Amino acid sequence: MTGPTVQTPNVACLRPPAPAAALSRGHVAIQDVEIIFRNGRNETQALAPVTLDLEPGTFTALIGPSGCGKSTLMNAIAGFVFPSAGRIDVNGVPVKGPDPEVGVIFQQYALFPWFTALGNVKFALKRFGLARDELERRAREALAETGLAGQEMKYPGQLSGGMKQRVAIARTFSGAPKVLLMDEPFGALDAQTRISMHTLLMRVWQAHRATVLFITHDVDEALVLADRVYVMSRAPGRIIKTFDITHTRPRSAADFDMEQMRMRSDIHRLLRPPDE
Amino acid sequence: MALSGHNISEFVLTVFRPLVSFTIVLAIWSAAALSGVVSETLFPPPWTVWSAAVEMWNAGTLTPDIRISVERAVIGFAIGASLGVLLGVVTGRTQFFRTLLNPFLTLLRPIPAIALVPVAIVWFGIGEGSKYFVISYTVFLAVWFNTHHGMDFVPEIYIRASRSLGASRLREFLTVVVPAAAPHIVSGLRLGVALALLSLVAAELTGASSGIGYRLQEARQYIRTDRMFALLVLLGIIGALVDLAVHRISRALVHWEQA
Repeated sequence: MTGPTVQTPNVACLRPPAPAAALSRGHVAIQDVEIIFRNGRNETQALAPVTLDLEPGTFTALIGPSGCGKSTLMNAIAGFVFPSAGRIDVNGVPVKGPDPEVGVIFQQYALFPWFTALGNVKFALKRFGLARDELERRAREALAETGLAGQEMKYPGQLSGGMKQRVAIARTFSGAPKVLLMDEPFGALDAQTRISMHTLLMRVWQAHRATVLFITHDVDEALVLADRVYVMSRAPGRIIKTFDITHTRPRSAADFDMEQMRMRSDIHRLLRPPDE
Repeated sequence: MALSGHNISEFVLTVFRPLVSFTIVLAIWSAAALSGVVSETLFPPPWTVWSAAVEMWNAGTLTPDIRISVERAVIGFAIGASLGVLLGVVTGRTQFFRTLLNPFLTLLRPIPAIALVPVAIVWFGIGEGSKYFVISYTVFLAVWFNTHHGMDFVPEIYIRASRSLGASRLREFLTVVVPAAAPHIVSGLRLGVALALLSLVAAELTGASSGIGYRLQEARQYIRTDRMFALLVLLGIIGALVDLAVHRISRALVHWEQA
């Protein structure tokens, strides 16, 4: 756990006090992980054996058709479900259950409706055992970082979808996770809001640099955000192709070059159902 | 301050409509009494009921009756509600107690309060204890049932979010599980308040010497239907006022928008 940091007050900066920034990246090793759900006598293979590594500080997108098991894989890394075979290590330690080192951002936001935006962020900061003033200051800072200054006392029910997800991003990053799992976080948002959320996410991520696994079925989203894109087949899901994207950020789907365009059509072709 | 169109329609809804309803009912009641079709002894007209209420007020029994009845309802409610919340939490959140207690509690649910009167008298005599027992039993079952359901259906995503954010099990319980179940618990408590008043009359069948329920029994012995009607109307008014207050309080407690 990091101790309280001494910082010059009144310095406007987006970067939070993070002396351990270089250390706060997680390495995720997924080895032959297979997940089978049993329901009575029925067995469903939710995830075919998968092996992949998430390098510290990288942004990986996982794209695939609905029901291919991409969310199941994410739930296993988060510690919500357990693999039937294989192992998952985060920084060399096997996943035994939910852990604050592994942050999760849900499509349904999962904000606590009985807390204000500020209260939701404070919930994540509680584990650091900060003094009351420091807790308040850091929570406000986190909300300001996601563009929510002035909205601190609003309840989730009073916020739009985009603003809710901003609160969720502020909340999750406040917990200083080394790995960040995002399960179609912008899937419920309109196209315009989604683009501004991409810009926001890139800004916050570049300040904190957690290792990100981002699940989506939006090809452009994957190409705009990720260093690497894994494409999964339909159920039971396997990883069928890997794309490395080295283009400088910030990127925009409106300004894709020939290489990005080619990757886009390749991915669309891979995702197309066989009968079309 | 000028009334806007919205305020006027709200005024009509909250004051005018009930007023219309009461006026119509009173008119039908009076007409029935005046027509001579029904015996005045069995079905007294509104004005006789009113003078019966005034008579009881002048006799000095009305206020102490209301006080003792409300006191019984409040104490019975407090005992039943705390036990109900406590047990609901335990059966809603732990598999062991759920398996152990659920079938038993399900068996208790259809037993009406009045059926407990003989047991209450044998166990607690004709003192206040038997009244508290009958009321708290009724309240307990309703509050337990609702709390249990609320605890049982806490959305899994809140638990996942809480654990991923590093909350301890105690903090998760106090700041996630309880608020998530709060709407159910509060509606159980609201039902409990209504049931406390409903079971009051049954409770006062266990040999009371005061209270609204007792006064109803006494009126029966003298065939004073006018007094009975006055007491019934009084029960209705107390119940409606209490429910209004509880509704306000519960809205303040569960103030957030449900997901």
